[in-house]
Amino acid sequence: MSRTDEPAEDEPAADERQGSEPSAEVRHPIEWDEAPNNQKSADERQAISKREEKNDARKIVTGESKYTADYAPNFPDLAEAAVLRSEIAHGYVTEIDTSAAEAMDGVYAVITPDSETVPDRKYTSAGQSYPEPSPWDLTILRRKVRFVGDPIAAVAAKNGDIADRAIRAIDVTYEELDPVLDPEEATDPDAPRIHDPEEVENAQPGADYERNVEAHDEGEIGDVDGTFEEAATRDDWVVTETEWKTPYQSHCVPEPHTTIARRDQDDRIHLVTSTQVPYHTRRQLSHLFDVPIRDVRVTKPRIGAGFGSKQSMLIEPITVALMEAAGRPVKLETTRREQFYALRSRRPARVRLRSVVTDKGDIKALDMSAVTNSGAYGPHGRTVTGSIGTKPLPLYTHTPNVRFEMTAVHTNLPVGGAIRGYGAPQGHFALEGHMDEVAHELGIDPIELRSRNLIAEGDLEAVSGITMKSEHVRRIRSCGLDECIAEGKAAIGWDEIEQPEEAHLHRACGVALTAQKSGVAGDELGAAHIKMNEDGSFILQTGAVDIGPGADTAMAQIAAEVLGARSEDVLVQPSDTDISPFDYGAYASSTTYVTGSAVKKAAEDARDQLLKFASRMLEEPADTLETRDGTVRSERTGESVTLEEVGYESIYGDEVRAQVMGQASFSTDESPPPFGAQFADVTVNEETGEFEIHKLVFAVDCGVAINPDLAEGQVEGAMHMSYELATSAGLSFDDDGTPETLGFRDYGMPTTADQPPLKSILVETYEPTGPFGAKSVAEIPVNGVPPALSNAIRRAVGVRVSDLPITAEKIRAQLDE
Amino acid sequence: MDIDITLNGTERTFEAQRSDSLLDLLRRNGYTGTKRGCDTGNCGFCTVAIDGEPALSCVKPVATIDGTEIETIESLGTQDDLHPVQEAFVDNAALQCGFCIPGMIMRSRSLLVENPDPTEKEIREALSGNLCRCTGYEKIIDAVQDAAGRMGEEGVAADGGLVRGEGE
Ligand code: FES
Ligand code: FES
Repeated sequence: MSRTDEPAEDEPAADERQGSEPSAEVRHPIEWDEAPNNQKSADERQAISKREEKNDARKIVTGESKYTADYAPNFPDLAEAAVLRSEIAHGYVTEIDTSAAEAMDGVYAVITPDSETVPDRKYTSAGQSYPEPSPWDLTILRRKVRFVGDPIAAVAAKNGDIADRAIRAIDVTYEELDPVLDPEEATDPDAPRIHDPEEVENAQPGADYERNVEAHDEGEIGDVDGTFEEAATRDDWVVTETEWKTPYQSHCVPEPHTTIARRDQDDRIHLVTSTQVPYHTRRQLSHLFDVPIRDVRVTKPRIGAGFGSKQSMLIEPITVALMEAAGRPVKLETTRREQFYALRSRRPARVRLRSVVTDKGDIKALDMSAVTNSGAYGPHGRTVTGSIGTKPLPLYTHTPNVRFEMTAVHTNLPVGGAIRGYGAPQGHFALEGHMDEVAHELGIDPIELRSRNLIAEGDLEAVSGITMKSEHVRRIRSCGLDECIAEGKAAIGWDEIEQPEEAHLHRACGVALTAQKSGVAGDELGAAHIKMNEDGSFILQTGAVDIGPGADTAMAQIAAEVLGARSEDVLVQPSDTDISPFDYGAYASSTTYVTGSAVKKAAEDARDQLLKFASRMLEEPADTLETRDGTVRSERTGESVTLEEVGYESIYGDEVRAQVMGQASFSTDESPPPFGAQFADVTVNEETGEFEIHKLVFAVDCGVAINPDLAEGQVEGAMHMSYELATSAGLSFDDDGTPETLGFRDYGMPTTADQPPLKSILVETYEPTGPFGAKSVAEIPVNGVPPALSNAIRRAVGVRVSDLPITAEKIRAQLDE
Repeated sequence: MDIDITLNGTERTFEAQRSDSLLDLLRRNGYTGTKRGCDTGNCGFCTVAIDGEPALSCVKPVATIDGTEIETIESLGTQDDLHPVQEAFVDNAALQCGFCIPGMIMRSRSLLVENPDPTEKEIREALSGNLCRCTGYEKIIDAVQDAAGRMGEEGVAADGGLVRGEGE
């Protein structure tokens, strides 16, 4: 489907353009075989689309919400732990003298790589599904150290103070190796080699450890080189080349990673831990410690947010090894310093883009290549780096010739991991900055240029699978980008910008379009179980991991909508691997879409069962009954019974007794993209380069918002992180790779005083594959501010800042040129 | 060493080590509503009131608090009977993971006691030492503005003094 009013004469036919075999049209129909009542008009909705109070809100404001560390008093003989981490970026630990630490009063255990309770099996910290698309290149404690922060030893002691002192009393001798800190230098054949390929299990495609390459991948649709060759011969085709750089970004999770490990009464390993992935953690611990999966239990309490940080299994193995050595429960709580240098971050990237665009503004070819800095280890290297291309490029899916190439490179710096956006922020900065450069080159309005080439409802999109070996296409069944652009433009005042009176001040707006996914297509499983109490309330169990955004509340709303119950009458149990149905966990923007679909199916199962009871009670056929506002009503007779009456009947009734219990699993090959438009309004001082952002607006199409308050919260919170990536993110190191950013103050996370106002706009579309039309919203708003701000500054003063963060110095340096 | 304080309106004596901070003391004795985000005075999650003034408990050595009056989040409302600031945070959906919220509420309450009708700029200044990674601050600012109205209505702290006794 073309968006262009006058298609260029040589536009290829639809199948050819999509680079897929014709039958894909048939295999991915626009029509979706959806459940009856999936689509509800605004006034038919009872529980969804309501601003329901978050189900833990009152606990939170009274301080009664319990996070992992708050469980410490439950374990009277709990030991506290601390970790000794490498002080050098590259080398070998030749000696560890723990005698002084062990002799200290109140020290229960000191562990090193040689300790009996520390297995030396390989694993990845990635926290992904099995088999992980990440190399197994870690051991719990390490003799070869590859960055400042590698764990070498750990202590369990009577209290944290003694544990810290014991750590300082451990004497480590190193044999130092040259570090390599720059990804470009790291691939040089003479560069120090960080990993021995013999030592890495489950190496990823394209790995070349001789050149410190963790993974490499590429894919092409159409003929990119041919298009550039043709462009060289035509003066109505314009070639544009750009290069973009993005820095490290810290998750700044409010609650530091915390784990309590113990042996329970049945001698099983039980963890209370701040994780986004209880089931993946259970599987990985079972592998590492060589115990059956059934002998590990992972309980998720309240989590002080994750943003991907807690998808990584970082401190759980150390805590378990210490617990075994100390013979008592152990709590390990990371310090804020460790959070910044020793755990995980957003990986820095360098992205190059080339394009061929006709003078009318039709994109003929896009050629993107990305190199990222994985740091010392490889979790998520291949998949995040791949997402730099595969998440944003579908925006311009009509481009007939597309190539994407990616390389993830090791250095002796902190490790890249999963973080909100998952490669998409780096990719959008490049692609959406590039689009504006093309618009300038052609003298076309930047929104007009995008609109000519934009993805739309009905499209069959193949670019998101460009690096896949097998054919991959995706039907776009909902897309509200036009509305996002229109509403965002109006909210930012795109057409009404007035120049300041002072001649040295220049004001302009910038735009960037964004896309994401809703779960990992074909690699998710959500399951749900719901049972009815005799008072007409329900207990819902899912493995969905609410890490703060309010997933449990959204799940209750979905169930309540199906059951005709009030949302507060659906109680949601937090995830626990002994109790909850299986779930892949909270990542990839999957919870509402994937687990929400399982909840909807389970609730439908329960509704069918309770209608049978109601049918007997009302003496009317079940299919003529309706549930609403806590009652089941017969349309025909006007008679009704309450859910409470049905509940009592099901459990204490005279005729048939059976508890109403619904259950379902959900897995899908679909992963519909949410879409959004980011706008920035900025004034730049051409003398100093200083800039003031007046407002940031993000209009998002997340399908039907299950809870608008929570959806807006996701947009505003992610826009805050996006603003940080644009203006202040980054970690700094000295020449030896020693980190210099060690706390919130060094890092400069935006505060209430320095952050511009953020406005979120929800644009409703209907996604037929999602529960009640929902798509994801958690990650997409983190993608837009860097390109929108860079584009606004370009429009204001003609200067392009292409390496983040954008600072007054960088603007000024270019203005001075 | 023994530390005598008035905690949430009750006189108490706690045993503590010299190296303890007020935050250590509180959390060890079950006052876990006060959160530890950095332990270096840079996040505000551990904000309490000491003699009516907002303070970061993680950087307060216990030795310096003997004889003071300490209020923590536990001194405000209960889930069924929230303090107006707590109520405003709930009603404005001004929370997500909640880890910053006890500190944020203690700081907001101190602000509103001192300045019952703050401008948005004053709110932004007053909360600038309290980080939040989840909300983007927008709904928190709304909540504090809303709370100002609610506290005004209830005549809470009309004398400019401490608000206390709700729910303890
Ligand atoms: S824990 Fe006290 S300011 Fe961070
Ligand atoms: S709500 Fe999570 S840090 Fe504020």
